[in-house]
Parts: sequence; structure tokens; C-alpha cells
Amino acid sequence: MLRQWRQVLGLATRDYFHEWQISVCFVLALAAVLGPMMVLFGLKFGIVGSMIDELREDPAKREIRPVGSDRYDRAWIDALAKRDDVAFVVPRVRSIAATLEVSSDRAPRILSLEVIPSAEGDPLLPPGTGIPRGLREVVLSASAARKLQVSVGDGIDGSLVRRFQGRKERVHLPLTVVGVAPARAFPRDALFASVALNEALEDFRDGHAVPALEWSGTPPGKRYYTGFRLYARSIYDVAGLEEGFERSGIEVRTQAADIETVQRMDRTLSAIYWAIALIGLAGFSLSLGASLWANVDRKRRDLSVLRLVGFRTGDIVWFPLVQSLYTAVLGWALAVAIYRAAAWGINLMLAPQLEAAQQVCRLLPQHYLVALGLTLGASVLAALLAGLRAARVEPSEGLREV
Amino acid sequence: MVKEQAQQAAQSPAERPIYHLKDVVKTRASEGYSFRLRVPSLRITPGEKIALIGESGCGKSTLLDMLAFVLQPSSCDTFEFEAEGRSHDIAKAWKRRRQNRLAALRRRHLGYVMQTGGLLPYLSVRDNINLSRRILGMKEDGTVEALAKELGLHRHLHKLPGELSTGERQRVAIGRALAHRPAIVIADEPTASVDPFAAEKIMALFMQMVEERNITVIVASHAWRHIKQLGLRRLAHHTRRSKDGRMAETVVSG
Repeated sequence: MLRQWRQVLGLATRDYFHEWQISVCFVLALAAVLGPMMVLFGLKFGIVGSMIDELREDPAKREIRPVGSDRYDRAWIDALAKRDDVAFVVPRVRSIAATLEVSSDRAPRILSLEVIPSAEGDPLLPPGTGIPRGLREVVLSASAARKLQVSVGDGIDGSLVRRFQGRKERVHLPLTVVGVAPARAFPRDALFASVALNEALEDFRDGHAVPALEWSGTPPGKRYYTGFRLYARSIYDVAGLEEGFERSGIEVRTQAADIETVQRMDRTLSAIYWAIALIGLAGFSLSLGASLWANVDRKRRDLSVLRLVGFRTGDIVWFPLVQSLYTAVLGWALAVAIYRAAAWGINLMLAPQLEAAQQVCRLLPQHYLVALGLTLGASVLAALLAGLRAARVEPSEGLREV
Repeated sequence: MVKEQAQQAAQSPAERPIYHLKDVVKTRASEGYSFRLRVPSLRITPGEKIALIGESGCGKSTLLDMLAFVLQPSSCDTFEFEAEGRSHDIAKAWKRRRQNRLAALRRRHLGYVMQTGGLLPYLSVRDNINLSRRILGMKEDGTVEALAKELGLHRHLHKLPGELSTGERQRVAIGRALAHRPAIVIADEPTASVDPFAAEKIMALFMQMVEERNITVIVASHAWRHIKQLGLRRLAHHTRRSKDGRMAETVVSG
């Protein structure tokens, strides 16, 4: 039983390679349909994928900014921080109070820097960058660090002025640079400081005392914040959070429109791709089926001879099946080669417009396997139909065709 | 697994007929024409050499295909085949669609020489001859080489059929039909596509080889002249046509 099956496999293999010209044609026909389909999918996957990656990697896309100023207390901010869809939130003090004049020994200029509240997990400070803690540590934006000619570990001098009880008062605050935020994260001059330092700056300007820094003044009252810095967990949470804020009467600004555009483009491109892919797959299955069918017809005499010699009908079905598997695997391999060449060319051509490591045409390993699976499935189906047809013919038929 | 027995059965004469047919009919109809082959009674005993002579289209191939179990009779009273002391009811096997059983009988007991070779174009001469042995799992024992030598093919063993002349291809087909030591060899116009001079030589060689091996042989040919001196029993048959030529019936008996 098994012997006959093995022999049919061997005979089908020899026939396939004996008629290599025709086999090459089958393989080419398959690759001609499958290759472009893979390139199309690679383009769709690469373009949409890199747009989504860009959205995902750019923290600005996840930022939700309140418009104007309001009064928020600490408990409200803490409640926000506990939400699952919020990755990071810190309160902001009045923007007029959140500035600091900074100088260093190395640069002649005194910079007036925007002070940004920060904390552990700040999306603008990539992993590896220091986190400003307490009242003495700060992180500088890349441009500010450059202008002050300082780097991590250096000391700088912050100073601020208030008008208190009718006279001008200036205090100095020695600070340590614990990190420099990359220009990509924050392009302007800025200083990242802890919420506590932000509060201290505001208190000083309001004439309140800051005992920790030995700044005198009136005792502070209940604290309210005018705004917050908030980042959603992912770009997909932005729209929901925005809706929630709007519902509770807080007007916010987000990049939800951009995200929506990309998502819509993804859906549109996917729909277009699947339309093309379905037509392509249907055409591919038909062409494969037709060629296998024709092949069985052409080989009817040979198959009849095999049956005359005594091969069982069930084994004969394997003959076209084995050959179609060869065609499927070889055609797929050729299609992969076509795809790789096309993707290489496309990516090379568009490389100047792209950031490093970005690819316009890209497939994951599992996409290759899906392509192989689909090809094998279509081939086996077509071959089975053809094979069953071959088996159904009475053995004597086809024997005397010349 | 039973090749030794097959050999013995082929070599020992038996009283029982190897084929026993009674009222076997095959009807074919196409485009308003119908053709009927009727076999009221046919008995072929082991070792017999049968000739079926007639013009093409008289139903020779139809009968041979039925005897080779590749064509299903339209109706039959009795169709028995005797091999290795066992009787096989072919009529019943067809009725029950036991195609694999028929294939097993073909593979073990039958050799078939077709009019135009029927060789597999992708196999060498050696592999074509060996095909009937390999399917039975028979070991390489020099049979193929000996046959090739006898048939004058020993120089061509590695060639593909495409590189051979028509006569050489027919000799390869004869080799394949004999290689697995079958009990019966059926040959359908084995030399019709070969020039007359070569045809006579091939036919004589073929008959000599089956005789040496004590194989029952059934040969169809359109020319009695070639084979009458070879000592075959000729099956009687006659063909009748209806007046409008739309119906033909051939009756074979023997």
C-alpha cells in the first residue's frame, strides 16, 4: 500500500522535473500573481505601519492639553493619574509663575527658561534620561543645555524676582543638571523640574514662604493648579479621554484628528488591498486550477497507463497533487524572491525621504508563511479536484489517445 | 508476497479455464451511432495462445480491455478469472466498484502491450521495464537486464523512450508486460505502428518469449497473415451492421 504511494510520489517527481519547461511555466505563472500581491501587501503594511509607529513613538500624539486655565486641586489630578487610559499626568502652576532665569559659569548669557513640571515616567524624557527630583535637580532641554554650554552633572544658577511688600526681591537657587532631554522630545528652551519646585516658584512669586528653601513670606493657602500635563496610555485612548474631558466641561486640545486620519487611511488602504488581494487570489486559484486541470487532461494517457499497470485509483490522485505542491512551493519561493527584490528597490528609492530604519515596503515572517499557506491551500484544492477527475475516468479511457 | 505462487500457477497446466465469460455485453453509443460487443461464451485455458483478428473498430480493443479489467461490461451473466487456484468473480467486483481489487489482479497476473507503447516518457527504458516489478516490490534480480538482452535493448537501458524508434519502444512495452512474470499477457495490435518487416520479427520474438515462459497470451491484430504461422487459436467473430449503418454488433465466441 505504502509502497505504491511512495512510487507514485517518485513517478510524479520524475515527471515534474522531466517536463521542466512546463513546470517552469507553472511556477512562473504562480509567482507572477503571488509576487505582486506580496509587494502590494508589503507596501500597505509598510506605509500604514510606519505611520502608526510614528504616531506611537511620538509622545506629542498622545498628549492632551487643557485650553486656557482653570482651578484643579491635587485630589482631582491624583484621581486622573489612577485611570487605566492615562499614562502620565502632573499638575501645572500658572504659566506666568513657571519661569526661571538661568545662568552658568561657561556661558555669558542669562536664559529665561520655561519651567515644565515633570516626574517619573515623563514621556518627553526617554528612558535613560535623568528624572528631576526634589528642589535642586533639573533636566534641561537640548537647546537650553547647548546655549548654557552645560551637560549632565554640571551646576547652574537659577534666579527669580518678586515684588514683595513694595520692594524688589531676588533669590538665587543653585541647581544640578541631572539630564538633557533630546531635541526630538522638546525643541524649545525649557527646564524640567519636579512639581515641588514648580510649586515653590509659584509660592515665592505669590509672596508665600517656602521654608525648604528658606524663602520668607506669608503662609500659603489651599493650593489650586491652573492646568496639567497629561499623556494617554496609547494613541487609541486619546479620543475617549478627549470625549470625557469635553463632557465634564474642560476644553482640551489633542491630536485625535491626526490619529483618526491615520486609522481611516489604514482602513481605506486595507479595504483597497483586500479587494485587490481577493481578486488576485481568485484569479490565482482559477489559473492554478485551470492549469492543473489541463495538465491532468494532458496526462490522461500516462495516468491510464499507471492504472493499467495496476496502480490503485487512490494513489493516482496523488500524482497531480504532488506536482501541484511542487509548483506551489517553488512558485512561492520565486514570489518571495520577486518581493524581496521589489521591496529592496522601493526602499532604496525612497530612502532619502525616510527616517533611518523606516521601510515603505515591509513584511513580517508570518506574512510569508500566510502566503505559503494560502498558496498550498489553493493548490491542494485545485489538484484534488483535478485528481478526483483523473480518478473518475474509466481506466480504459485515455489509453488509446495518441 | 505471492509472486512465487504466481509463477507456479503460470507454469503448471490446469484444467480450469483462466477466463470464463458467458453472455458478456458491452454497449457503446455516441452521436446516434451505437455499437455492441457480445460474447455469448468464451473460455480460455492456461497456456493458450489466442488471436483476435479483425479490422479496427470491430471491437477487439473493447474485448481486450474487458479481459484486462479496465473496462466495465454493460451486462454479464458470468465473468470469472482464475489465478493461483482461486476464482475471482470479475462481474461482482465491477458491480461493487471494487476498483482496487481489480487493480491488484492486473498488477499481479496481467501484462498489457499497447498499440503505441504506453511507456512513461519520463522513465528510462530500464525503469519502464522495471515498473511492473517495482509496483509488486520485486527485488532486482537481473530479470530486467536479461529481458533487455533478449529483446535487443541492452544498449538502450538508460535512454528515455523519446530517444527510441517505434519498434524499440514496442519491444520495451513487451519487456514491461513480461518482467513481473504474469500469467496472462494481452497485446492490442502490438506491431501495428511498426513497419511490416520489423513487425513480423517483433511478433515472432514476442510469441517465442511467451511460449518459453508458458504464459497465456491474447493478441489482437488486423492482419492474420503475420501470425498464422505462429500457431495461435483464432477466435471466431462476425460483425453485423444495420441497414442505415447506425448500429453495429460484433459477436465473439470461442
